[in-house]
Amino acid sequence: MSTKPSQEEGRTLRFEIFRYDPTRPEVEPHLDAFELVEQPYMTLYLALNRIREEHDPSLQFDFACRSAVCGSCGMMINGRPGLACSTLTANLPDVIRLHPLPAFELVGDLSVDTGKWFREMAERTESWIHERAPFDPEAIEERMDDDLAQAIYEGERCIECGCCVAGCGVANVNPRFVGPAGLNRIARFALDPRDARSDTDWFEVLASDDGVFGCLGLMACDDVCPKDLPLREQYAYLRRRTMGAARAPLLQVEGVANAQG
Amino acid sequence: MAENPTLPDPRPGLIRPTRVRRDSRRGVLTFEAQRRAARRQAIYEAVSGASGAALAFFMWGHMLLVGSILTGSRGFDWVASGLEHIYVAQPTVVIISVLFFVHAALASRKIPSQLRERRRMRDLARSLARPLDAPPGAASRATPHLESSLWIWQVRTGMVVLVFGAAHLLLIGIDLFTPMFGERVGIEAASSSERVAEGLVIPYAILLLAVEFHASVGLYRLAVKWGVGSRLSRRTLLAIERVILFGFLGFGAITLVVLAGWVDPPLAFLTEGL
Ligand code: SF4
Ligand code: SF4
Ligand code: FES
Repeated sequence: MSTKPSQEEGRTLRFEIFRYDPTRPEVEPHLDAFELVEQPYMTLYLALNRIREEHDPSLQFDFACRSAVCGSCGMMINGRPGLACSTLTANLPDVIRLHPLPAFELVGDLSVDTGKWFREMAERTESWIHERAPFDPEAIEERMDDDLAQAIYEGERCIECGCCVAGCGVANVNPRFVGPAGLNRIARFALDPRDARSDTDWFEVLASDDGVFGCLGLMACDDVCPKDLPLREQYAYLRRRTMGAARAPLLQVEGVANAQG
Repeated sequence: MAENPTLPDPRPGLIRPTRVRRDSRRGVLTFEAQRRAARRQAIYEAVSGASGAALAFFMWGHMLLVGSILTGSRGFDWVASGLEHIYVAQPTVVIISVLFFVHAALASRKIPSQLRERRRMRDLARSLARPLDAPPGAASRATPHLESSLWIWQVRTGMVVLVFGAAHLLLIGIDLFTPMFGERVGIEAASSSERVAEGLVIPYAILLLAVEFHASVGLYRLAVKWGVGSRLSRRTLLAIERVILFGFLGFGAITLVVLAGWVDPPLAFLTEGL
């Protein structure tokens, strides 16, 4: 955070929190306001728990790790996606408005089902190493170049919080778009030499308007990712790779498909 | 919420399960059809980017050529008739016109067709923009997320360029291929200046603004998208974009006022001897 958190007590914070329970559609979506006195080193995680304990036990929100690792607590904090557990109230103004992440299915109030989205994305991008040769338990593991291992790890660091998806204009209007996190995932497997897929093998996920060409390069994802993933480099890398795959003759592309189909 | 567009069959060991995608517009898409569609997208994407870059670079050259008016009408006529004489000007007009419309058609694919979707993108840009410590609400209108709003303005300037640029291309085509303007077939300083002075200066100023913005932001976006200069931070790339933008805007503005005859050509002494 840019500003240094002030740790004095005393500010009264006003929380305006989005409320809607899909199981009770008769209650219109609305904002509920709560007031809390700020504590030293208070994060939104602490604040929300206090609101639930002291004001409204029915408030729904997600947390697990409290340390920016699990990716459960993404929400719109004054209009910007971010992790509630790693956001200090000291960096926020007196009025804090919280909304659930858009582009995901709403569970209720601030809780959204990112898990379902990421599961679908993982199935669509087939987020596993595709091996052609039979597994040989005796074989010595192949060596990997340090830089390459590092590059793969950069993509692997994604905690699936969904902040980038929520911040992406395209993902907000086109639910079929694999989203920044999905593109990052594709890049991670495209980099991996252990994955036997060639670019033409998954060209249709990679190159369509729902893949890397859907991205307009608005870079909101790059700006909001709480784990600072190199999202911009990942896309540029994918775009360049698609050009190679697009040049492969269509016959050969179809040949691959038919052979497997 | 995303409906699952594929019906995955994640059998381990199979490199690629056969899949079918349901598409609301096109019905059931087979795997091959999806692949062909993706390939088409890849080609569109490459052509739209390449035509954009080509047009942007052309505009730089164009600017220098029109800038010959700074040396007076003699210099301008010398450049224009020279390029016509060796048959560079004529095919260029045709090629640029083709690129212009190809680029417009391909690039406009990316504009969300629904007003609702465009609103959503604009509102998101506004809400993302706010620095973390600003109060919610009011402030957001002033400073939308820079790059999202750059994109929105690129769409808007693109439309301006489409209208005014097409008119300009038509005008130049007529000037170049018919004797309608001036004393001979081809572009001359006298008739060009006259057109500008007699009122075209306003539309040309609008076109200049729109073109320079559209081109410089477009080049920046291409760099980001394809990873040109990926060692540079986005801040640096944006700074380069600014320099290009204001450099060409300034040069263009001077050219325009000279062309309109409001200011005497500052470099006229260079062509005194011609
Ligand atoms: S850069 Fe692409 S993926 Fe990222 S927010 Fe923008 S459009 Fe979405
Ligand atoms: S890429 Fe970043 S913002 Fe997106 S889900 Fe992963 S960690 Fe979250
Ligand atoms: S609670 Fe795990 S990331 Fe915030």
